[in-house]
Amino acid sequence: MSQRVPIRSTAKMKELMGFYYMMAKAGENDPNQKIAWITSGGPVEILHAGGVIPIYPENVAAMAGTMKISDEICAVAEEQGFSRDLCSYARTDIGSALSGKGPLMGSASPKPDFLVCCNNICGTVTKWYEELQRIFNVPLIFIDAPFQYGIKDRPEAIDYMEAQLRNMIDIVGEITGKPVEWDKFMETLELADRAVKLWREIQDLLQHKPAPMNSFDTFIHLAPIVTLRGTQGCIEYYETLKAELLERIEQGIGTLEKEEYRLGWDNLPVWYKIKFLSERFSQHNSALVVSTYTRSFCYQAEDRDISNPLRAMSADYLAGYINHGIDFRERELYQMVQNFSLDGLVMHSNRSCRAYSFGQYELARTMEEKYDVPVLLIEADQNDTRMWSDEQIGNRIDAFMERVAGKKKRNIA
Amino acid sequence: MSLNVRELMKPFMEVQDDLYCFAKRAKQAGEKIAGYLCTYSPQELFHAGGYFPVRVIGKEGGTPLADQWLQPYACSFAKGVLNLGLEGDFSFLDLVVFSHTCDTMQNLAEAWRRRVEGAPVIVVSTPNLNAGDIALNYLKRELARVKEEVENISGSKITDEKILESIHLYEKHRNNMKILYQIRRESPYLISGTDMFLVVLSSFVMKKEEHNELLEKLIRDLKSITPEDVKKPRVLVGGSVCQAQGFIQSIEGTGAVVSDDDLCMGSRSYVIPPVPQGEPIEMLAQMYLSRIPCPAFYKPGYDPAQVYIEKVKSGDVNGVIFLQTKFCDPYAFNYPYIRKRLEQEGIPSLLLEVEQNQPVPEAFRTRVEAFVETLMNR
Repeated sequence: MSQRVPIRSTAKMKELMGFYYMMAKAGENDPNQKIAWITSGGPVEILHAGGVIPIYPENVAAMAGTMKISDEICAVAEEQGFSRDLCSYARTDIGSALSGKGPLMGSASPKPDFLVCCNNICGTVTKWYEELQRIFNVPLIFIDAPFQYGIKDRPEAIDYMEAQLRNMIDIVGEITGKPVEWDKFMETLELADRAVKLWREIQDLLQHKPAPMNSFDTFIHLAPIVTLRGTQGCIEYYETLKAELLERIEQGIGTLEKEEYRLGWDNLPVWYKIKFLSERFSQHNSALVVSTYTRSFCYQAEDRDISNPLRAMSADYLAGYINHGIDFRERELYQMVQNFSLDGLVMHSNRSCRAYSFGQYELARTMEEKYDVPVLLIEADQNDTRMWSDEQIGNRIDAFMERVAGKKKRNIA
Repeated sequence: MSLNVRELMKPFMEVQDDLYCFAKRAKQAGEKIAGYLCTYSPQELFHAGGYFPVRVIGKEGGTPLADQWLQPYACSFAKGVLNLGLEGDFSFLDLVVFSHTCDTMQNLAEAWRRRVEGAPVIVVSTPNLNAGDIALNYLKRELARVKEEVENISGSKITDEKILESIHLYEKHRNNMKILYQIRRESPYLISGTDMFLVVLSSFVMKKEEHNELLEKLIRDLKSITPEDVKKPRVLVGGSVCQAQGFIQSIEGTGAVVSDDDLCMGSRSYVIPPVPQGEPIEMLAQMYLSRIPCPAFYKPGYDPAQVYIEKVKSGDVNGVIFLQTKFCDPYAFNYPYIRKRLEQEGIPSLLLEVEQNQPVPEAFRTRVEAFVETLMNR
């Protein structure tokens, strides 16, 4: 088993996130404090600028998954008629909303005053938030981010986003009873922009050999960029983390005793098996150094107009990996392989996420045949443990690593 | 009764042997065929552009080729049509049209574009927000863009006059279908739901001009018949797609009559409010957004249960059968709420999970039988 020097900043992140959840819980009982539930790809900057506390059902569901309580919470939704084939985050969240059970000190998230749903991550959130609207009987702001089939994003789609975001700014003002101040909003966008860039820099530091942390860490350190994007606290945290990673690079600290192989990860993590996967890959001296999932939170549009921040924001919210077709994904994956010197790719075929997973077979084939990159496809689920078998997946990882090792040896020889 | 219903149904039955016999004949005569996968594809534009639009529908059969593209947790409709596409069944198409709806269709469009040889693929970015000026403006721009794309592919301009002609033809067709739906609500025993399904199926693959003629004759003939005095439980069938007549036939085999539906392969495509006059692209955009939304879409203020309750009450329906295509997320998300509301209204319902590309299983019939029996005893 490899030795690991723990990442100090983790404690600071726990503190930051703990404080945030405490504030959110306190906000629930404060009639002047509005709380909104929002999707992970949603335009949270408008909420921060309007003084609204955002709650991320996806984050909360992932916490439930990590704490291994998602199965029993999902069962509550299933009893109400929600099919087991539906997204396990949605089932976890709906089950939590219906039962009051959840990972935040044993209870569910603070109740929302309104909901914000942006479908730039999937169509499932559209239906999930419709259900939340029925459960809580509160306003729903729906932001329709058209899926971009081509590599270049369409200008009419950016116009459509901009009109919707302007509309959202007005609605948030109406709900809180205080119009969102433009200056405050611009300042929030500036803070968000800095945080997004930091988050990208941090992930790019993993291009270094050995990588100063691995993707399993990155999954954990994702929380602030999702939740607190647009706040000072988020920037401070990522500056701390970045400094620590630079220090680790300087001292040559990696995450393994010997980093022999470098892998990329596609799709959401398997939250309840992070430890298992991390250990299994470590046994083969292989580090996961990049993932399409954590990079999804630092996409900025390619030709964004920085002189017009709202316009740039409108383009950014279309720009994510999973809001794009296969040609775009192919390009991104191959860039990852090159930039991070990957020896292979691990693709989590995630039963919960059709938006992310369909197309992976084609991408895997393309990576193998066109670019000669070994790919491992793991059939699993982000939160539903009933799909998983340690033995089966473990064996597949072992076999895959043999293939990766064989190829590397041949390449060297 | 002098008219024989089987005689009346004959012209619609040709599709039972080959769904695309009309398209293939037209193709042989030199016409261009556009295949669309979703009824939100603006067929009027393709019709105006000189294409004969037919709906791409799957059939019974395995999906070994599509399984190379889509995981086991993809819906059977997507897999079924993709498999046919990969096998070359749709090689007679000159154009393939997708509309953005759900995550599965989105990836199906990508699969088709990358791997199915032949016709160019157009994807219409239909807004998933189905109300308000912002969405309307986006759809208008998108339809204008699609029109241009069709013009570029076909090499000929599509005039406003042509689009208007097509709009009127399609609206006339919808009106005829609406009348038929109304007749069936009032007298569901004149023709069975199984026959009605054939009428619907043929409506997607025949020329609207020809289908209009057939419909008008059918409506005249049906109106001349005095309904027999029969009493069967009336069932409404709800779901997303339903491509096999077998489901309806099996339900009616137990002694019920399927008198109405909430299906995109059914009333959702036809029972649409009249289009207000205006500039053609605007008319089309208005029309598509005024539909009872596909379950994948969000329409502020729209209540998915209300449609069921209204149909049940106005059509003396005795029970609802949900044909839930396995892995169709949008409909599965609607189901618990609709069921709950039906329960509150005292309307019995039954959920049946179905695979679109497989024969109707014995268990399906058994469960329907038990359900219909409870309806008879109420």
